[in-house]
Amino acid sequence: MTDSGDGGPDVTQDVQVPWEEDPGDLYDNAPCGYLTTLPDGTIVKVNETFLDWTGYERRSLVGRRRFRDLLSPGDKIYYETHYAPLLSMQNDVHEVAFDLVCADGRRLPILANSALGRDPAGLPRVIRTTIFNATERRGYEKELLAARRAAEASERRVRVLQEIVADLAAAPTEADVAEAVVRAPAPAFGASSATVWLSDPDRDQLTAIACTDPAGPARDDVPRGSSRAVAEVARRGDLHVIGSIEEAEEHFPDLAAAMRRDRRGTAVLLPLTASAAEDQAGVEVLGVLGFDFVEQRELTDSELRVVRLLGHQAGQALDRARLYDDLGRREIRSIFLAETTRALEVVPRLMPRARRLIERMVPEMAEWAEVRLHVGPAGLLADAGGPAPDPDRLDERIVEVLASGQTQLTDDKGPDPDCAVLPLVANGKVFGTLALRMAPGRRTAVTEAVFLAALADRAALALENARLYEQQRAIARTLQRSLLANDLPSDPRFAVETHYQAAAHDLEVGGDWFDAFLITPDKLAVVVGDVVGRGIDAATTMGQLRSAIRALASAEAGPARLLERLDRFVERVESARMATVAYAEVDLSTNEMTYACAGHVPPLLAEPGGPPRYLLDARSGALGSRAGRSMRLEHRTRLPAGSRLLLYTDGLIERRNRGIDAGFEVLARAYAGRRDSPLPGLAAGLADFLVGREHADDVCLLCLSIGVEERLERSIGADPLQIALLRKDLRGWLIANDVDDDSTQAVLLACSEAVANAIEHGYRDDPFGIVEVVAAVSPQAVEVRVRDQGQWRATNADTARGRGLKLIRQVMDHASFDHDEGTTVTMRRNRREAR
Amino acid sequence: MTTDQWVTFTKVGTVDLVRLAGEIDLANAPEIGREIVRQTGHAGAVLIDLTAVSFLDSAGVRLLDGLVGDLDDQGTPIRFVVGATGPARMTLQLCAFRDDLLATDLDRAASELAP
Repeated sequence: MTDSGDGGPDVTQDVQVPWEEDPGDLYDNAPCGYLTTLPDGTIVKVNETFLDWTGYERRSLVGRRRFRDLLSPGDKIYYETHYAPLLSMQNDVHEVAFDLVCADGRRLPILANSALGRDPAGLPRVIRTTIFNATERRGYEKELLAARRAAEASERRVRVLQEIVADLAAAPTEADVAEAVVRAPAPAFGASSATVWLSDPDRDQLTAIACTDPAGPARDDVPRGSSRAVAEVARRGDLHVIGSIEEAEEHFPDLAAAMRRDRRGTAVLLPLTASAAEDQAGVEVLGVLGFDFVEQRELTDSELRVVRLLGHQAGQALDRARLYDDLGRREIRSIFLAETTRALEVVPRLMPRARRLIERMVPEMAEWAEVRLHVGPAGLLADAGGPAPDPDRLDERIVEVLASGQTQLTDDKGPDPDCAVLPLVANGKVFGTLALRMAPGRRTAVTEAVFLAALADRAALALENARLYEQQRAIARTLQRSLLANDLPSDPRFAVETHYQAAAHDLEVGGDWFDAFLITPDKLAVVVGDVVGRGIDAATTMGQLRSAIRALASAEAGPARLLERLDRFVERVESARMATVAYAEVDLSTNEMTYACAGHVPPLLAEPGGPPRYLLDARSGALGSRAGRSMRLEHRTRLPAGSRLLLYTDGLIERRNRGIDAGFEVLARAYAGRRDSPLPGLAAGLADFLVGREHADDVCLLCLSIGVEERLERSIGADPLQIALLRKDLRGWLIANDVDDDSTQAVLLACSEAVANAIEHGYRDDPFGIVEVVAAVSPQAVEVRVRDQGQWRATNADTARGRGLKLIRQVMDHASFDHDEGTTVTMRRNRREAR
Repeated sequence: MTTDQWVTFTKVGTVDLVRLAGEIDLANAPEIGREIVRQTGHAGAVLIDLTAVSFLDSAGVRLLDGLVGDLDDQGTPIRFVVGATGPARMTLQLCAFRDDLLATDLDRAASELAP
């Protein structure tokens, strides 16, 4: 130290203060703590300030404690590993932060500076340490740290929330939304587990749909009206934080039990709503998110804000998913309805249409469905799927619905609550019911009420249309049959065979017709015609034309005049215009035929010993035709005995895959091939051969045979009903052959018994057996042969059959039974003149 | 199958009158038989009118024979009205039905049955 040369105060010396400065007082009451310790840390001297801060008494420290004994456990280690070595190496240490453990256990943050004094030999002699109180500074540091941590946590929560929002935006269904939401509380708040319940108005419950627990909540569905915490929160619509089990105990015992079971300290229940939490009133709670913590935990305001935000975001996502689901369902429903309507239109008839409806519904939307229509005497029923509900209860409910016209979507009285019964209404009248049980996994009938009502409406309309169609079709068919089936004349001099075959595929009736009538006892008229169009109008018009022809035909007029009169008739009955007619009159005394064709396909005539030929003369236009030749012509030709004349409609020869010329050729060949066939069955056989079963058009045939069959040959099926038909033919044939009455009765009886025997006995085990009957007549006798291929078994027990055989022997002059490959009965009855 | 076209039931006084019509054969006789038994179970007397029958075979005979057996057992009088000629008479005569069972006049037969 040297003096400065400038004469200023000598600062190498302390400035003298004008009061007594006691060094002891300075030491003891310095603004810092002061410790003197031995090199091993044993305190040898301590000032008042230190004692004041720490609350120790001097005598408990000096000579008794080491500095490091006063440090917190972590700091003791730091003292040994850093502080002491550093001090011994560099002789001083600065601003080391420690926590001092005070006398009362309180921790005092300090900063310590130490210096090591050595003896002349360089060995450590003393450590002097000053202690500064760092309470405020450490507090500030702590605050800084906490703030940083809070900022980080908040940032993490925001990041989690952002991720969740992104997930929610991508979640198309409610289930996906729930999956995204349930994953949020763990990363965002450190929650232990979380569960999402979705509000299900259909089932009136909150359905537990997602859970972080891999085992999941065992279908913890909560009825909406229940007193459970989840339901209560959903009703209230606001966030609930239940801080402890005790708190839960007070309000939600069920939650307290769950918390105790799962060892949870805090639980949070968050309603998921689509609109912001502020305007809660009237807000629909779409679900509830529950999450919990193992520890008791308070949520900070910023955390609560994030929780609410999460609830809101999730609510919006649910709302959107719900609308999306609704939209999807609505689209599927409208597609279903449209397709059903189209599918029903394809089948016009009632029963197929009802079946088609049921097939559309089961199994796609219903596991069981049934249509009942109260139409006709027996009604109609179509059902599919199963299990069917209790039939008695269903009957009861159907009666109720039919009476009230009110839909029953559920049933609380019967064993099948899920079975819905809807009325089918047309023109304000309930004419049937549609009952169903929705397919498992589908929404309930109550939820689908609007859709089901729409379906029932469409079904009712379609079925009513089919019913009307059916009714009209039935009327048309009845009308047509009544007009066609009227007694055709029979006479030994001629025979008429007819056949009418309706179009396949349920088309409406056509306007084809045939007729045969006697104008005078000696003049026969035969007609085949075709009215334009189909359905009941065509059938009616056909009836009118048929009557008109019967009325206008006269002994004098002849075919050409008749057609002229029909032309005038058509002027008044417009629907008959363009009808075509083939008409022939046969003089039975001379076998002379006069015919005319008005736009109709030409008759086909087969004469004995020659090939069939088409009668191509006397052709003119259709009735009332303006373009066709209006001059009506007729042509005369003689029919040798045994001739067969065929009148038919164009349906017989027209086929899509065959030209009409080819059709004429095929018909002529087929007709020629059957010239020796018996007349009965000839027309049907031709139709079957030419058009088959898949014919698209009606077919109508009339075959007129002039003269009598010499031999009667029939093959009949093993059916008792066939015997009457055989007798009818046989009776006509016998009368035509002038067989006397007694003989006729006898032959009829014997023949019946022989055929009955074949059916009852020979074909006992074969319902498809055929019985052949051949009858021939000569001036002396009638001979009949009845043959079957059945098994002959002589059983005397069958006394009734025995009576039949006895009758044969009684009424016939000769009868023999031959049991070789079936049974042949040969019988002869001598005619009266010859007896 | 309804049997209305072959069999109708009326009463003449206290007598049950069964009118058969058309062709009676293997195809319809069993059905007609059952119907007659059903309708005349408690009759005091039965008159069966066969005049409108246009054909009768052994199955028909079996039916009528069974009927006579049943009614005889019950002590219920029965008569068949048949024409002087015709298919029904022919068959019944061929099967040698008792003359006392056959009548030609319906009213007389009815009054004989219920004097």
